[in-house]
Amino acid sequence: MTVQLEYNRIVEALPQNLASSVIAIEDHGLIIQPERLTDIAAFLKVEPGMELDYLCSITGVDCINYFEIDYLLYSIKLNHRCTLKVRLADKSEPAVPSLAGLWLGAELQEREIFDLLGINFSGHPDMKRIFLWEGFPGHPLRKDYGHGC
Amino acid sequence: MEIGSGINSMDLDLHEGHVIEDLKNSAASALPEPSRWLDEEIERNIITTTVDKLLNWGRKTSLWTETSFTACCTFEFISTSSSRFDIARFGMEVLRSSPRHADLMITAGTLTWKMAPQIKRVYEQMAEPKWVIAMGACGISGGIFADSYAVVPGYNRILPVDVYIPGCPPRPEALLAGIELLRKKIEKRSIAKGN
Amino acid sequence: MLSEFSLIALFILIVLGFATSLVLIPVALRKLGIVPSQPSAVKSEPYECGLETTGPTWIQFKIRYYFYALLLISLDITVVFLYPWAVELTSLGPAGLITIFIFLGILAVGYLYAWRKGALEWK
Repeated sequence: MTVQLEYNRIVEALPQNLASSVIAIEDHGLIIQPERLTDIAAFLKVEPGMELDYLCSITGVDCINYFEIDYLLYSIKLNHRCTLKVRLADKSEPAVPSLAGLWLGAELQEREIFDLLGINFSGHPDMKRIFLWEGFPGHPLRKDYGHGC
Repeated sequence: MEIGSGINSMDLDLHEGHVIEDLKNSAASALPEPSRWLDEEIERNIITTTVDKLLNWGRKTSLWTETSFTACCTFEFISTSSSRFDIARFGMEVLRSSPRHADLMITAGTLTWKMAPQIKRVYEQMAEPKWVIAMGACGISGGIFADSYAVVPGYNRILPVDVYIPGCPPRPEALLAGIELLRKKIEKRSIAKGN
Repeated sequence: MLSEFSLIALFILIVLGFATSLVLIPVALRKLGIVPSQPSAVKSEPYECGLETTGPTWIQFKIRYYFYALLLISLDITVVFLYPWAVELTSLGPAGLITIFIFLGILAVGYLYAWRKGALEWK
């Protein structure tokens, strides 16, 4: 069975400049600064003892006051997992670095989040809608999206 | 993004968006019932009646279904077409993958606006005469997704529907009853009416 | 002598008549206005699962496909000969066995040639 990686262990393993960008440790994830997301993910992907080499899923959540993006990472070799979380307080122009450079599988999932929540992934090779069509007004998974369509 | 032969994928997306928006704007209300004339008393003479009978017999006993199933009602259709319910009894066991061979479209499942142009195009490419059965709540009115931003509220917004089968999903027996209704409808066609 | 062939001639006539009538009946029904006809631009376009075709459709296919097709056919034909031989294995005896191995040898040479020539590699 897949073991949940202890978040204290991750924070201890991170080098000083990356550990400072960890905002908080919650029960279900490590909340980090959006600017350092790519660095932390790249570090965890190759660091011996972590080797979180498989990006299982990316989920975008509208938490009314902020957007949250959850990255579920697995290690195929060591059979453990962890969740990275990014919170975006700016709801008007939310942006987060793309992980498509690290995991190609992130590309489509990031497009899905862009489509339904309107979060921009900077550095994404092909940032456009995936489920809805071009010209669709708004982003329907936002809590303030009305039924007037 | 360039996807080969000088085609930009964004141009394709924009074109698709225009097509969907146009379709959405033109589908504000449901299309009328295609065969309202069936209730009218039409003039029949001995020749037209005989030809009608022959043609309608041929049509109703070889309804070939187009495989354009969009969602979960499909499984009820699969069940209907398999051995237990066996629509081979009605000469319908041939599922056609090309609309050129098909004359019946069973709209099994929820239709999204993104898929709507394709379904409409497949319908338009089917050979004459052709019929449509709207199967399930989503096919009739959009079902529980009727208010959704992404779902077509009923196939009759984009296609002329002949028979409606309620249910979520309809049982195979219900589908058979719907097919039986369509067969009765086909029996009433007449060349005197240009059909 | 000639009368023996008359049955075959009759058969050919029936076949031709049946085939042409199957083609002509729909055309005649259409011309007489008995069956409905609603031609449209969309109907005469190529069928691509409901999608519009993108770009030119008269394009060159990679010739590599034909190598695979030819190899597949040559290996497929083997079965056509092997199966009847296997059914009649006992009655054909050692002569049949030797013949079939010669046949397989020829095929193997062809297969090795294709392999050497790089027909199995995708370039």
